[in-house]
Amino acid sequence: MKIVRVVSTCNLLGSFCREMVVAVLLLSVIAGSATAGDIPRGDHGAATMDYQISELDKLLPASNLRKAPQGFDPVVWEAFIPADNALTAERVKLGHKLYFDKRLSADGTVSCATCHDVTRGFTDQLATSEGIEDQIGRRNAPTTLNVALLQTVFLDGRSPTLEHQAKLPIINPIEMGMTDGSAAVNAIKDDPEYQAAFGKAYGRPVNYDDIGRAIAAFERTLIFIDSPFRHFLAGDERAISAEAKQGWVLFNEKGRCVTCHPINTSNPLGTDNRFHNVGVSARHQDFSGLAKQALKALQQDSSEEKLDELALSTDMSELGRFMVTKNRSDIGAFRTSLLLNVGITPPYMHDGSIATLWDVMDHYNKGGEANLFLDGGIEPLALTEEEIDQIVEFLFTLTDERFTEQNKRQFEEQKKQSRKKRPLRDNEMAFRLKLAFEK
Amino acid sequence: MRKISTVAHVRFVMLCAVCALMAVMLMSCRDEAEVTTCDGTGKAMVAEDATGQELADSLMAQWKRDHPDADWVEQEKERHELKPPADNSALLKGGQSEGHIYGQPTERDILLWGRETEKFVVEGSRIFHSADLLGSTVAVSCDMCHPHASNTHPETYPKFQTQLGRVVLLRDMIHWCIEQPVRGKHLEPDDPAMRALEAYIMAQRSGTPMNYGKH
Amino acid sequence: MNPKYKSIETKYREQRESFFRGLNNLDRRSFLKVSAAAMGAAAASGVVSCPSFQSVTVAGQDSASQRNTPFRFAYISDSHLYEKKINDRFARALLRAVEDINSLDPQPDFVFYGGDLAQLGQASELDFGAQILKEVKAPIKMMVGEHDWYLDMGEKWRELFGKPTYSWDHKGVHLITLNSVVEEDFWTARGMSSMERMMTVAGLDNGVQSPFSVGEPQREWLKNDLADYSDDTPIIVFSHSPLYKLYKKWNFWTDDAEDVQATLKRFKSVVVIHGHTHQLLTNRIGNIHFHGMLSTAWPWPYAPEGMPELTIEMNRPDPFNPNDGCGDGEVQVYADGLVDKVYNLWNRKQITLSKAYMISWGSKGVPPRPNRPSY
Repeated sequence: MKIVRVVSTCNLLGSFCREMVVAVLLLSVIAGSATAGDIPRGDHGAATMDYQISELDKLLPASNLRKAPQGFDPVVWEAFIPADNALTAERVKLGHKLYFDKRLSADGTVSCATCHDVTRGFTDQLATSEGIEDQIGRRNAPTTLNVALLQTVFLDGRSPTLEHQAKLPIINPIEMGMTDGSAAVNAIKDDPEYQAAFGKAYGRPVNYDDIGRAIAAFERTLIFIDSPFRHFLAGDERAISAEAKQGWVLFNEKGRCVTCHPINTSNPLGTDNRFHNVGVSARHQDFSGLAKQALKALQQDSSEEKLDELALSTDMSELGRFMVTKNRSDIGAFRTSLLLNVGITPPYMHDGSIATLWDVMDHYNKGGEANLFLDGGIEPLALTEEEIDQIVEFLFTLTDERFTEQNKRQFEEQKKQSRKKRPLRDNEMAFRLKLAFEK
Repeated sequence: MRKISTVAHVRFVMLCAVCALMAVMLMSCRDEAEVTTCDGTGKAMVAEDATGQELADSLMAQWKRDHPDADWVEQEKERHELKPPADNSALLKGGQSEGHIYGQPTERDILLWGRETEKFVVEGSRIFHSADLLGSTVAVSCDMCHPHASNTHPETYPKFQTQLGRVVLLRDMIHWCIEQPVRGKHLEPDDPAMRALEAYIMAQRSGTPMNYGKH
Repeated sequence: MNPKYKSIETKYREQRESFFRGLNNLDRRSFLKVSAAAMGAAAASGVVSCPSFQSVTVAGQDSASQRNTPFRFAYISDSHLYEKKINDRFARALLRAVEDINSLDPQPDFVFYGGDLAQLGQASELDFGAQILKEVKAPIKMMVGEHDWYLDMGEKWRELFGKPTYSWDHKGVHLITLNSVVEEDFWTARGMSSMERMMTVAGLDNGVQSPFSVGEPQREWLKNDLADYSDDTPIIVFSHSPLYKLYKKWNFWTDDAEDVQATLKRFKSVVVIHGHTHQLLTNRIGNIHFHGMLSTAWPWPYAPEGMPELTIEMNRPDPFNPNDGCGDGEVQVYADGLVDKVYNLWNRKQITLSKAYMISWGSKGVPPRPNRPSY
């Protein structure tokens, strides 16, 4: 099964990716094998639902849903909860049940927890995710950790709310594959447990909109912001190492990271919730051709229908935010990643094409990947190896302390990987000896 | 060495310009004329039909070349228009000033305060307009994006500065600009250059109401 | 291609042909009216011996539009290059602009360079710029800016790019390039070195320099150049300074603008495309439409006073992104010579100042307003 996955992803991502996919594979195998004996795995390589539920219980004992999470600004927290979906224990319990329920998929093998696995950083630690009938998608699964604090959902921001987002993978043909909302409702509406739960949570019979609401309510409890870095910001000088502190300085100054990845008490996520083209999509072989196609379509016929037609053709997926806004300036742009818990959510970028955080730093150090729509804020950084190590060490301090062991393992493995191979390193570009587009 | 005030010196030069002009008129058959100041210390070559202003300019320019640091305040003000500091003459009036030790400024005090303030702001303008003084490694100076310190809006601080991801004061933003677009030498918040820059930016915006948090 | 000076025979032949073309469209009654009018006109204008027909404007015929085809050209402007080892940021931006223009499909008829290729007029900067611009696929026309000129008074520029003032015809439109950054000598009296002169001019807010002008010799040249063109020839003038008076303290100013505008006044369609201002800038004075070009290097804030009413400011740029507020663009020229001006702002949606906006004095086709004005 794993070998099949390698071949199909390589067709999509181009020839050079083979090494990277093998590396990712190796990583996931190693990550899995360290506790291979401990974690029972089921469909699509995810941990079994029962095991995940028990792990989640250990991570999240019952909390007071009326108050904002510990240490989070209560005024800002209020703003994140929609009026029609106040947080109640019944709604969270219902959402919890739905999140782990494979009946919501067409072949009964996929639940939300398949790609947003409690044991794998609430993502699947794969480049791109696998859905029903082993179909591989084109996008990396973002983590559901702290997803409540995002201002826009999906890597291209096509969902304004969690409620809206939760309903879409269920009916996506290669993810959970239900034909439409009513098929999903039919799958569970005869279950007396669900009938009772929906009644208690929303006072309504089972319906698709409430499925979305309940899952969103559950996701709002997945708050994991208690990182060593937060303790450092609160005044504990010993919370992070000297190297990490230097990394934080670089993050704010020479690295130019903080502008797109701000970290503060009202927004601890490390994302500006905006969409930037940093050049990852430009590495796909057909990117400039796709962009030209899209621009021509804009010029000739910018009607909704024509462009939605284009969006459905999956090739256009690399154009990212453009497919939502139809703005030329959004070609190849994707939402800035979360940095909170970034250590345990490899591989990185919208297509999972970057295996380690060292590779991510190499990508930014050389000024991303030159293309006509590159965000001008991305420029060559001229960071030395030592500075890259410091920034990466800082990034690993952003993981919630409940995941310390996993974080440490990831750090060791990624470090080992980074000492062996650095496919994106380009010192000529990083130190401005060569300029983008220069002949 | 006797120090001459700028104003007195300018008057002196103007007088010499008049003398020089008369000398030139006498030598009207020449294409170019050499003019000297009356005390013989200043000398310049000017075109035969030079106007009085041009004569004065030439002599002044020559004097400045001979005394490079003497009048950087005037030089800077000539290049870059600066808003003057507030007029404090109202402080001289009022009955209570007589009985109040610390409430008795004199005319000289006010002149002094004005001069010192102006010099501080002019120093800021000098640095603001000079890639070299900013220590820029990429030959960029602040006025390349902010002519006359426009678009700096110092009255909006403190505010959440998106480029820094946190709430900052004007000085922090100046520091960021020096670090990123200007790539100049790192300035501590209490560095005299940093303080002078802040002074110039605030001075140029005098008269605008404070409005912290405005984006 | 229209020759600059037509022989008398060619002129009269053209007149006869256009007259007969018009006649073919008339019915008999109108024909009589027209011939009567022609006789009357001939008598009134005091032409005694009439070697040819007087050309008469006949309803339904627009000789200009029959001759001209619409076309598109692109522009890159104000790159302010330093040598690569001093500052590569402006070089990277110009390289991006060249890549932008080269990827246009279809390719423009030509590319116009709006001036200020170098930052401090150094030969090495101009050479570097020329080298980068060699990669532009379409034919390129150059214009000089003050940053190119005032180190050596245009010596290197002329060596690389030829005369700074010239004109040419393209698809029925007469295009003119001026050197509108002529400054009265402020440097000799002050005994400035050439570098001091260049540094003074390079400072936008440096009050020591003189205002820009076109100058008497060039104004004369312009009058002569335009002498043989009829009033309905579409005219496009390229100028580095705006050819009107916006804000003197930043030299967003042409001192003899009124004289130049007077020379252009008789033409039905005049479009001025200018550089120097590094921002979205739109104006209309009488029949002259003025459009500013974007810079590739950095954006200027808007002037505190004197802003033309038609200008809708662009959003204040973000200093984190050195490309924000910058870009390149295109100009769509219609058969009547009026234009749509396309601003290709990097990392922003394109903005078009359309012909409809200009001819309606800003009531139709209004571009979106900024939410972050400069202040």
